[in-house]
Amino acid sequence: MRDDPVVTALVARAAEHDQDAWNELVERYSPMVWAICTRYRLSRHDIEDVNQNVWLRLVEQLGNLREPAALPGWLATTTSRECLRVLRAERRNDRFGSAPDELPPRLDAALIEEVIIVAERNAALRAAFAELPAQCRQLLAMFIGDPPRSYAEISVILGIRHGSIGPQRARCLERLRRSASLRAFLDDEIGSTPAERSGGEQRA
Amino acid sequence: MRDERDDDQLLGALREAMRARQAVPFEIVEAAKGAYAWHNIDAELAQLTYDSSRDQERMASVRSESASIRALTFTSAHASIELEVTADSLLGQVMPPGEGTIEAQTRLGATTAAPVDEIGCFSIEPVPAGQFRLHCHTARGLDVVTGWITL
Repeated sequence: MRDDPVVTALVARAAEHDQDAWNELVERYSPMVWAICTRYRLSRHDIEDVNQNVWLRLVEQLGNLREPAALPGWLATTTSRECLRVLRAERRNDRFGSAPDELPPRLDAALIEEVIIVAERNAALRAAFAELPAQCRQLLAMFIGDPPRSYAEISVILGIRHGSIGPQRARCLERLRRSASLRAFLDDEIGSTPAERSGGEQRA
Repeated sequence: MRDERDDDQLLGALREAMRARQAVPFEIVEAAKGAYAWHNIDAELAQLTYDSSRDQERMASVRSESASIRALTFTSAHASIELEVTADSLLGQVMPPGEGTIEAQTRLGATTAAPVDEIGCFSIEPVPAGQFRLHCHTARGLDVVTGWITL
């Protein structure tokens, strides 16, 4: 488990009545909770139920987490357990035989670990992006939108000369790489050469 | 020196990170933030263990009088709360029984309190608007809170 000082600090602050720190934890990890729920193919109603219980349990546990850095793992396994609880309850109450016969299998430890790694990397990327100057955020947003903008469009929208878009993009990405939030992840994953990479991007 | 492929890869990772966050509905994130209101409240959490509306969804075409009353059960390690939702009130019973107070608390912080009688029965009027949860404590030391309820 990666020992992330940011998460440790957020947990400590949240345990001391700091709603902002709590909100930041939610921002970081709600995509992971969501991703696990969708892997179990829960209905929206069930996801709301699971989501609520997971975060309430965390509220209860805030003062007791001995290793705050283990929080993502705790959240992931708690979410997985809650998903199975909801699915089992549905089967128990199913008087009309419309629930599927088989419960979906519990996500195995390796898959959970992968979801956690993706979630932590994504959280680090978003944090690093948020720290960029506004100009960089505007420019990079053009490239990551759906669909990405062409250089010609970017030139018009942002009023940047066509020829300087490429160099500015490279500079902004370099700033992103240098961000403290991201550096730990870059060493082993993003930005290494394709030959060094194993498996490529995993979708959560 | 970084080559273009490194940059494309980083952009791809950033795109995926942003999409993962955008995929989470606003209400889900807000509910998670709202859970913090329960920080340092020393109550046991009772989970939803039965919801009659889930049966009704499966009976889509069947309409009957009884289907209009929603029944919910919340269970914790030491207690359970049975709830029936009528047009103008929440009727319920707490187990184990005992005199006390039950409070419906909405997301926005509004509360409606009602007494719990010696056999654990209570009636809350009117039905709270929007999402709410029930917090019950009895003289015998029961202190239990339900998950959020959406009617």
